[in-house]
Amino acid sequence: MSLDYSKDMVQFTKEPKLVELDNLISKPMDTNPSRKYFIALAFTSSLMFLGFLCIGYTFYFGIGAWGNNQTIAWGFGITNFVFWVGIAHAGTLISAILYLLRQRWRNAIARFAEAMTIFAVICAGLFPIIHTGRPWLAGYLIPYPNSMNLWPNFISPLDWDVFAVSTYFTVSLLFWYLGLVPDFAILRDRAKDRIKKLIYTFFSLGWRHSNRHWRDYEKAYMVFAGLATPLVLSVHTVVSFDFAAAILPGWHSTIFPPYFVAGAIFSGFAMVVTALVVMRKVFDMENIITLNHLEKMNKIILLTGSMVGYAYLMEAFISWYSGVPTEQYVAVNRAFGNYAWAYWTTVSCNVFFPQFFWFKKVRRSIPLMFIVVLLVNVGMWFERYVIIVSSLHRDFLPSSWTYFTPSVIDFGILIGSFGLFFTLVLIFTRTMPVIAMSEIKGIVEGAQPSHDGGAH
Amino acid sequence: MVENIDNKNMELERDPNYWQGFFSIQKDPEFDKAKRNEEKKISDNDNSGLSRRKFLALVGASAALAGVGCADYRDKGEIMPYNKMPEEISLGNPTFYASTCNLCSNSCGILVRTREGRPIKIDGNPEHTVSKGKICARGQASILDLYDPDRLQNPLRKTKEGKFIKTTWDSANKEFFKVLESAQGQIAVITHQINSPTTKKLLDDFKKKYPTTKIYTYELFNDSIRNKAWKKCYGTDFYPIIKWNEAKVIVSLEADFLGNDGNKIENARLFAEGRDVENIKNFSRLYVAEANMSLTGINADYRLKVKPELQYEFVMSLLNELNRRDNLELPISVSNFSLKTFAKNNNIKEDLLKHLINDLITYKGKSIVFAGRSLPEETQIAVNLLNEVLGNNNLYNSSESFISNSELNSLDDFNKLVSEMNSGNIFAVIHFDSNPVYHLPENMGYKNALKKVGTVVTLTESANETSVKSNLVFAINHQLESWGDAKTRTGFYSLQQPVISPLFNTRQKEAVLLNWIKVENENYTEKMYHSYLMDNWKTNIYPSLNSKIEFTRFWYGALNDGVVTTNEKEKAKFSFDKKLLNSLSTSPKKSDGYTVIVKESYVLGDGRQANNGWLQELPNPMIQSVWDNYASISIETAKNLSVKNNDKISIDTGNGKKEYPIFIQPGATNNTITIDSGYGRTTIGKVGEGTGFSISGLMSNQPKFTPWIFTDAKVSKANGTYTIVTDQEAHLFEKTPSENIFAQRGILVEGTVNEYKKYPYFLKEEKGKGNHKSPEIYPEQKELYNGVKWGMAIDLNKCIGCSECIVACNAENNVPIVGKEQMEKDRRMQWLRIDKYYSGSYDEPIVSSQPMLCQQCDDAPCENVCPVAATTHTSDGLNQMVYNRCVGTRYCANNCPYKVRRFNYFDFRDHFKDGYQKEEVFDLVYNPEVSVRSRGVMEKCTFCIQRIMEEKASAIRENRGIIGSNVKTACQESCPTNAIKFGDINAKDSVFAKYRNHKLGYYALEGVNTKPNVTYIAKLRNTHTEES
Repeated sequence: MSLDYSKDMVQFTKEPKLVELDNLISKPMDTNPSRKYFIALAFTSSLMFLGFLCIGYTFYFGIGAWGNNQTIAWGFGITNFVFWVGIAHAGTLISAILYLLRQRWRNAIARFAEAMTIFAVICAGLFPIIHTGRPWLAGYLIPYPNSMNLWPNFISPLDWDVFAVSTYFTVSLLFWYLGLVPDFAILRDRAKDRIKKLIYTFFSLGWRHSNRHWRDYEKAYMVFAGLATPLVLSVHTVVSFDFAAAILPGWHSTIFPPYFVAGAIFSGFAMVVTALVVMRKVFDMENIITLNHLEKMNKIILLTGSMVGYAYLMEAFISWYSGVPTEQYVAVNRAFGNYAWAYWTTVSCNVFFPQFFWFKKVRRSIPLMFIVVLLVNVGMWFERYVIIVSSLHRDFLPSSWTYFTPSVIDFGILIGSFGLFFTLVLIFTRTMPVIAMSEIKGIVEGAQPSHDGGAH
Repeated sequence: MVENIDNKNMELERDPNYWQGFFSIQKDPEFDKAKRNEEKKISDNDNSGLSRRKFLALVGASAALAGVGCADYRDKGEIMPYNKMPEEISLGNPTFYASTCNLCSNSCGILVRTREGRPIKIDGNPEHTVSKGKICARGQASILDLYDPDRLQNPLRKTKEGKFIKTTWDSANKEFFKVLESAQGQIAVITHQINSPTTKKLLDDFKKKYPTTKIYTYELFNDSIRNKAWKKCYGTDFYPIIKWNEAKVIVSLEADFLGNDGNKIENARLFAEGRDVENIKNFSRLYVAEANMSLTGINADYRLKVKPELQYEFVMSLLNELNRRDNLELPISVSNFSLKTFAKNNNIKEDLLKHLINDLITYKGKSIVFAGRSLPEETQIAVNLLNEVLGNNNLYNSSESFISNSELNSLDDFNKLVSEMNSGNIFAVIHFDSNPVYHLPENMGYKNALKKVGTVVTLTESANETSVKSNLVFAINHQLESWGDAKTRTGFYSLQQPVISPLFNTRQKEAVLLNWIKVENENYTEKMYHSYLMDNWKTNIYPSLNSKIEFTRFWYGALNDGVVTTNEKEKAKFSFDKKLLNSLSTSPKKSDGYTVIVKESYVLGDGRQANNGWLQELPNPMIQSVWDNYASISIETAKNLSVKNNDKISIDTGNGKKEYPIFIQPGATNNTITIDSGYGRTTIGKVGEGTGFSISGLMSNQPKFTPWIFTDAKVSKANGTYTIVTDQEAHLFEKTPSENIFAQRGILVEGTVNEYKKYPYFLKEEKGKGNHKSPEIYPEQKELYNGVKWGMAIDLNKCIGCSECIVACNAENNVPIVGKEQMEKDRRMQWLRIDKYYSGSYDEPIVSSQPMLCQQCDDAPCENVCPVAATTHTSDGLNQMVYNRCVGTRYCANNCPYKVRRFNYFDFRDHFKDGYQKEEVFDLVYNPEVSVRSRGVMEKCTFCIQRIMEEKASAIRENRGIIGSNVKTACQESCPTNAIKFGDINAKDSVFAKYRNHKLGYYALEGVNTKPNVTYIAKLRNTHTEES
């Protein structure tokens, strides 16, 4: 088989006209939502409120409402945090890194992926705050000048988290908004309802599609892409420091930063695929977000999944190679101890099942890939669970060994975070274009004159 | 009057003119100039600290500031100064009172720390002849009983409907006095053992006044069998005190002398004196032969599993073997007992017995064989004989002996009492701070017999099983609210004085009785018993002391010391009566079937203090269980019964089936079941009710073997389970991959005495290569701690794992009670724990104890991960917690390799039993020097930093340097064996430095390189090793 890498992939299965594109993409904003939409929204928002109820309960009684104990001081809270931060990685990777690499297939999925990033960071950011014993004092983590000359402890990875996650959130949000400005202008021009028009007018910042606007926009977009790129790598690196900088066997490991970044991209892509598979069907966008797109993402999932698998192997190898009995014990215990079930869930979901993506048929089959990416989502949650809980439950002194049993509230908050995420996604699909209209137009046939005359 | 003055002052401060005047003066340039001159003068004159003028100026300024600063302060009027300042109190400083603990028959001397008139901690009285400044966990925890919200606060009267209603002392007394006067028959007074000569006299007076009175005395656990056997052998009343410290070989037969058999505080101290690594030549060896693992068994060098009914055979076999080896001229024939057969039948290694025989012969006269109090008379006599023929009576203390004020009544006496009660001969029963319904064997029928008694009254601190069957309940004082005295040994008296006036509408139990005696001619006053006590001393005790000091002065001096030493001298001679030996059986008895042993609980004793959360939460030293008792059985027995941990079994000792959950105890003898006392209280209070299972159903009013051991019990599996919560997971015997995990990780390092004698540095390097240090890859940081640097050393040779220190720490540091379900979730709050590690096999385990507390690491892993710098290092080497800054991320706890950090998952004070710890009276127990932590905050041991600060303050006041040895941590103070040393690491000449730099010193998890400031002195086991 001969491959011509000079050529882009086929971007559309059925080449649309420009007007059709606008109509199709802004249809959810132009029409009233169906009953199904409201049922979906009611479902997700009830989950969300369930979560908030559980959080309220925790605020009132204390972290004791969770399953955590003196030995296993972190449980679901931090697991969820790392999980959601991981999910948040795909969006910026797609929108920034693939942009800089001129991967034009990204245009169709970038907006949606970015939105998911923002929502995932919102979910993630919730956890560090609610998991503290006294959340009302969480502000102590922020460096602010005060009369007592008290600063946060700048050598604590938890404090780096604060900076990393808040920076990431800010930059991602601005980047996303920047890309949205031309689309808001299109929506403003289409809007018939006065209030709608007013809102879109406000957010489109007076965009007139002028040449000068476009030039400035492109530049700004490039700069943001440049800014966001290192963040993609840094955020999860910093999150991994939470563990790597500790002395706990099973945490204290130099492999963590690259392993976490790979894992984050892995889980992020899996989540994007999960959502896109549903979204393209519901909004009739199968021609724009094509199987080709999904296949590419599946390839990335395969790649990063294998990287994660390599990291698992490396962890085990290093713990043996280190000659430190405590490390060795933790590695063996992980695979064969109390949490073996969680560990093997992780390994099978993250390493074994993605291997099916070696087969083109699987990569291009919607039901099969949906199953695999769902499993990856589960696996990646368990990966963090295993890292946190199984390492803590068998630490240095056998006298403090114990077992972690999550409480109902733990599950409530986990479910609530999914509720929050999908509620935000649902609201997003009805208020903003899920595909960047301005960008997608840039890859329609003939939109970009090229030296080979645009023929492919 | 005082109130008026206060109001006036406040008005003065609020007077607006006052302020205007003040400011205008301040702004006046002339005034400024004058002030500067004044200041100059002051500073010229200022030679040492404050001058009078500066002082006055400061007082003025601070009054003004207080006026401004406090004007808006919302919390008004709660904090009240003393109206009349008591002479002996200086605010902010503790005052100590010597007194006597009354909770068991040992009557240890206590020193009560009070702050602003409220007792906050109980320590041992260093002046006390026996306890020598130490006090057991129960004694320490009794401070909590004082402030127990569940205490009875008023006398109660039972209504016709059977409800208890509050009544007044007058009407209750009147009601009962009418009954007493009617004198329709016998009066029975049921009491625990009386240690006080004055209480004894009081009871005699009561008998005089009401001649039909009979006093019945009981203790659930007592030494009566051992004493009776002793009397038969030697003619004196009490088994002697043993000089454990002088023994080279100790053989303990079913005797938990370090745990609950005898005066454990004294025994532990003397035992530890004989296990001093500084005196390695005289290091004693401990053999223990017992049915179930006990605290003594944990500390044994050699442990044998022997069923209690076979102990007799064991002793006789020993005698036979010794006789064979070393003609002992035995007065009786022991030829039917063969040690070999015994070893074979009981699966005991012959090597071990060989060592034992050799040791007993080698150390004749320097060894002691000690039979537990629960063993029958025959065994006791055999043991006395064994000691006699080996010449071990050297180790009996001949200059001191026990003394008793009241003889214990036998079970038969109580059986008779019950039948008298049933036949209606007894018209009044007075429970004098006793709880026979709970304590006496269920099949005695005491509870039902009470129904036949005209009037039942109970004097008690809190409602109990007996008080609910009474017509009148008299609420009595706690021991810290009472007067008293005690005499338990020859040579000294100890005194008990109240340190706080009664918190509730209660009276001292003796005063209640006294009131009944004197009812015609004297009204009750609070001083009543006080003067009775003084009179008794003046007329009966003081003259015998031949003191040259006038009585009142003598009395105050005695109260101050808490102890009065006398010139009494015991010169006991031990002459063995050989005639009685003919009654000993001459051939071994068989034993199959299950044997049930009831044992005094280490933490709860006989259950009097079951409502004490500190004790309930104090881990049982065997399996670290909390809040419950259980049937402790061996793994083999569990297999035979096909039960696993928490499954219930039913036990029938002849009085019907009783169900208990089981827990497998490594090292337990097969077919024996051991159950602790003190649990299963049905009436006591929120904390104690519903914890564990009562043993009174197992006990019998006519025991066949001994009152505490029941042979041939019927045991079977029962339905259902009951969760026993342990503080430490029960996975101690994971074979792989944690085998030898302790040595590998450097948690526990142990050696043998012989090894140490031969290579003193065996711990530090390979044998015989001299002392050298392994190269250090990290740079030294010596310059960091130039001044005082605090450190602790724990001698694991002396630590017996008794857990007294945990209660001391709870009391000192305001550690909350969390409750069973939180313990189950592993949210214990104790800052100090005693880790127990079992190694070897399930059948013959070796147990190691290790107190684990914050190691105050120089390179503390917790410090660098805290995002808000809430845990930091002090310049004197402490790892401190800043509670106010703590946000509660718990990262520090995750990163602590010792897992000694404790997180407040709830406001446990509120969460436990619906805010039981938030009741008003409970607040009084808190040490005001230690903040009470809120929920969401991390906490941990800081080496009693408040005590360090006290020393710092006095160093500044006295203008001297800080002296490390002046600070004693709470755990150190309470340690009965002085295993914990504390002091300044940089004071190179101190006693502490010797331990800090000991040859046997090591750090826990040294490989993690946290550089701890707690040094463990490695445990040496005195076994026969190849080196010898």
